[in-house]
Amino acid sequence: MANRRLLVKRRRAVRNIRKITRTMQLIATARFQAAFNRATATKPYTEKLTELADDLSRAAGDVEHPLMREPQDVQRSCLVTISSMRGLCGGYNAGVLRTAVKHLIEQEALGIQTDISMVGKKGINFFKFLKRPMVEQITHLGDKPAFEDVEPIANALMDRFIKGEIRSVYVSYVKFISAAKQQPVVVRILPLSKEDTKDNVTEAHEAQASIDYEFSPAPKELLDELLPATVRARLFQCFTDAIVSEQIARMVAMKAATDASEDMIKLLTQQYNRARQTAITMELLDIVGGSNALK
Amino acid sequence: MAKRTTFQCSVITPERAVLECETTSVVFPAHDGELGVLVNRSALLCRVGIGAMRIQQASGMQTLFVDGGFAQIVDNRLTILTEQSKKPEELNTEDAEQALVEALAMDMVEDAAFTARQRAVKRAKIQIRLSKAK
Repeated sequence: MANRRLLVKRRRAVRNIRKITRTMQLIATARFQAAFNRATATKPYTEKLTELADDLSRAAGDVEHPLMREPQDVQRSCLVTISSMRGLCGGYNAGVLRTAVKHLIEQEALGIQTDISMVGKKGINFFKFLKRPMVEQITHLGDKPAFEDVEPIANALMDRFIKGEIRSVYVSYVKFISAAKQQPVVVRILPLSKEDTKDNVTEAHEAQASIDYEFSPAPKELLDELLPATVRARLFQCFTDAIVSEQIARMVAMKAATDASEDMIKLLTQQYNRARQTAITMELLDIVGGSNALK
Repeated sequence: MAKRTTFQCSVITPERAVLECETTSVVFPAHDGELGVLVNRSALLCRVGIGAMRIQQASGMQTLFVDGGFAQIVDNRLTILTEQSKKPEELNTEDAEQALVEALAMDMVEDAAFTARQRAVKRAKIQIRLSKAK
């Protein structure tokens, strides 16, 4: 008897959990849509900027810019890691943090110290657990990072880079490739290399003969403004990408949880029915046995 | 073939495309003063300053606040890339006035700080003007 009651109780608990996970899945789906729209809205800006940078560097000839220098003598670099503020998103944080730690170990092997800027509570807690010091802990960005919020971070990094305090800046985040594929990556955003400015340029643009622009002010000065803008835009893109990936990860995790709870409910129902049937059979046997004895 | 009288104009920020339209004339704040664009303008790459840009559309004049960035004109397509752009109805006089007070209180000891202050003051003043004019 007690067994049956227990089964009913457990089934009820699992049903409640299913209700919650399903709701969380729906919320994540809605948030994913919003985040995805934001991420795609960022694309035209970044693409256009890269295109302009390409046109400009072609016009300006060989460019020398403080943001493109690769200082060899500085033994310190910086890593911005973008993790999530909340849990229940499957392997999302584990993925980012694993690649981040791997990167740190690689850098250490090269004798380079890395300053860590950590975005998101989950990453902060993990690094506290590892007892690794973090230079900066960023938790104010939330689900919809505004460009104005990301801008100061990028500016501070560029400042330190130009002053020669750090030799490079890396960002580790989960790159959004498609709705079915996201990948934790470490990308270098500083120093800018020529290939970096080219990788986004569309082929159509590549094929297009260079346009005879009128420049105002001179190409060199324009480039001075354009390159920092590219860095800011790329960092911002990382943030929006990371948010999209996070929502997908959460969606998938919650879908899996809902499915698992459904299976479990089925199993529990089966067990309960079997227990009930056994009890009925036992009772019947009792009654039949009793009446037989009276005959 | 009919003579072309309009050209494409788009204003893009990192967060969204603010404006995408056909227009006959645009005036935007360049880094060294206002710059007017008509149809068939030759290719140009230019730095954008802080200020109000005016776009002549079929439905009337549209004003936008832009905050620095770049303008590119190729093949009757004007693209303005700016880090911040707002329509006048999105601006709020009180917020802008608050921003002006803060901007005026900014430090102006070093060169960099001084320029930053100048920019902030200018930005706030233009926002106030635009938000009042709407």
